[in-house]
Amino acid sequence: MSDGNIIEIKDLTKSFDGGNITALDGINLEIKEGEFVSIMGPSGSGKSTLLNMIGALDKADSGQIKVAGIDLMQSEDFSKFRLNKIGFVFQLHNLIPNMTVHENVQIPLIETDVTDEEMIERSAELLNSVNLGNRLDQLPTKLSGGERQRVAIARALVNHPSIILADEPTGALDSRMGDIILNLLREIHQKENVTLVLVTHEDYVANSADRVINMMDGKIVT
Amino acid sequence: MAIFGIAIGVAAVIGLGLLAEGLPSSTQSALTEGAADFSVIAKTSNTDGPNGQGGPVGSFGGQELINQTKIGEIQQISGVGSAVGVLRTMTNLDNTTSTTTNSSSPGGDNFRSMTTLIGIDSNSISMNDIVITNGSVYSNEANEIIIGKSAAERSNKTIGDTISISNQTFKVVGIYETGNFQDDGGIVMSLDKLQNLTNNTGKVSLILVKASNGTNSGKLATAIQEQYPDELTTSTSLSGMDRMNQGLDVINTAVWAISLVAILVGGIIVVITMLKAVSERTREIGVLRAIGWTRQRIIKMIIGESILLSLIAIVVGLIAGIGIVEILGSTGMIPGLMPSFSVSLFVKGIGVALLLGIIGGIYPAYRASRLEPTEALRYE
Repeated sequence: MSDGNIIEIKDLTKSFDGGNITALDGINLEIKEGEFVSIMGPSGSGKSTLLNMIGALDKADSGQIKVAGIDLMQSEDFSKFRLNKIGFVFQLHNLIPNMTVHENVQIPLIETDVTDEEMIERSAELLNSVNLGNRLDQLPTKLSGGERQRVAIARALVNHPSIILADEPTGALDSRMGDIILNLLREIHQKENVTLVLVTHEDYVANSADRVINMMDGKIVT
Repeated sequence: MAIFGIAIGVAAVIGLGLLAEGLPSSTQSALTEGAADFSVIAKTSNTDGPNGQGGPVGSFGGQELINQTKIGEIQQISGVGSAVGVLRTMTNLDNTTSTTTNSSSPGGDNFRSMTTLIGIDSNSISMNDIVITNGSVYSNEANEIIIGKSAAERSNKTIGDTISISNQTFKVVGIYETGNFQDDGGIVMSLDKLQNLTNNTGKVSLILVKASNGTNSGKLATAIQEQYPDELTTSTSLSGMDRMNQGLDVINTAVWAISLVAILVGGIIVVITMLKAVSERTREIGVLRAIGWTRQRIIKMIIGESILLSLIAIVVGLIAGIGIVEILGSTGMIPGLMPSFSVSLFVKGIGVALLLGIIGGIYPAYRASRLEPTEALRYE
C-alpha cells in the first residue's frame, strides 16, 4: 500500500462468456483507508463485478489488484482474507432463514479464535447499535426489509473488517427505510473509521459518499 | 423433506431387514411346522430283545430302548426347541377283541397284519406328523386311542368303536393321517398307556427332536451324537432335512441380497436428498463463502448436517419400518412371514444409516464446496 491506499487497482480486466462480454475494461482505481466511495452506473456497467473483485469473490483476467496489502491476483483461496478484512452487505441481505437474528450475526465468527462468550457479546452489542437489541431471538422471516438489512450490516461488522463492501444496500427498500440504512452505514463509517465502498444506481445515495466513481461499459468514466 | 427422504431409506433397510431376517425362521417354521427335525435312537441294537422288549404286547424289532430321563437331558442341549419321547411297537391284533358301531363289520378280527402301536403324549402328536382328520385327540389318562386312516379303513373302525389290546379296552376317539404308510396303519395312544401295556415304564424307543428357530438341525444332530457317542445316534425320517438346510442357505443369501438392495436404495435416497438440499441452499452457501467460510468448513457443515439428518431419520425410519411391518403382519398381508426383531439388526440398521449419512453427504458436500461465491449469490 502506498500513500495510505487500502485498495490499489491497475489495468484490471474481466470478461465473461469466453470473452464475449467485457465486464471490466482496464480499471485503474485507488481508494484510501477510511474513505467512503460510491460506485455509480447503469445496469451492466461493471460496478458489481468491480466490487466482487475487491472482495475477492471473483478473480480478474489480468491487471493488478491489491486490497489491504493482499495481492488478489495470486491463485489461492481468499476465505481468510474475506473473513478478516471484508464485511459484505448485499442488496437482498442474504440472511440464513432458519437461524435467529443473533445466530446470523455470529456466523462469520464460527470456528475462529473468538470465544463463545465474546461472540454473543459482540453480536448483542452490534444488534443494539442498529436498534435490534430486542429482536435477538427472532427469525429473519419475522423482520421487515429494513430490519433484515440492519441485521446484515451488524453481520458485516462483527469481524471488525477493514473494508465494508455494500452492493445496492438500499435497492430493495423504500426511500424512508433506505435513508435509515444509508445513515447507519455513514455513521458506522465515521465512528469506526472503516473504508466503505458502496455500489448504487441512485444519485442521492451515491452523493452521500466522499467520492463518486461513475462507470460505463466496464470503464471508469469520471 | 430431507429427513423424509432419508427416513424412507432407513425404513427400507429396517423394514426389509426385519422381514428378511425373519425369512429363514419363517420358512423353517413353515417347512417343519410341528414336525420333528430328526429322531434320537439307541446306538446299540440287540436282536435277542433287550430289557423291556417283548412284553405282553409288541415287538421292538431288536431296537434297544432309551431311558426316558434322556429326554430331559436332550431338552437342555443348546438349540433344542423340543424333545418328545415315543414308544413304538408292532403287534398282531388278530387276537384282540373289538367292538364296532358299524353293524356290517361285527367282530374283531380285522387287524390281519402287524399293526404299529405308537405311544406319545397327546399334546405332542404333531411332532410325529400326526394330523387328526376326524374326531379329537385322546386323553393321556383315559383308555382312548386314535387310529390311522388306513387302519380304520382296513378294520372298519370308526370313532366311538372300541378295540381291546392286551385285555384292556380302548375307545377310538379320532382318525389320523401322517402321510407315512406304516404309521397310517397304526394306533396311537398315550405314552404312559403303551409303556404299561408293554411293561416298559420309563422307556422310549426314540426321542423326537425339533431344533429351535434359526438352528441348523444337521449341526444339532451332530452335537447330540457327540454328547452321547456310545449311547445314542440320530436319524431322520425327514429325508429333506439336508435339502432344507441347503434351502436355508439359499434364503440366507437372498436375505443378504435384499438387505444390499435396501442399503443401495437408502444410499441413493440420501445422496439425492442431500444434493437437493444443497441445491436449494446454493445462495446460502454463497453467502457463507462470501463472509469467509472456507471450503473445508462448508464440507464439514454439509456432512455434519447429513449425519444429523440421518440420526433424526433413524428415529423416524425405525418407527416407520417397524410400524409398516407390524401393520402388514396384523392385516395378514404377509401370511406366515414373521419379522425377526434382533439387537444385531437394529445395530446394523443404525450403523448403515449413519454410514449412509456420511457417505451420502460427501459428494453433495464436495459439490457445495466447489460453488463459486459469485455464482451462488446470483442463484435464484
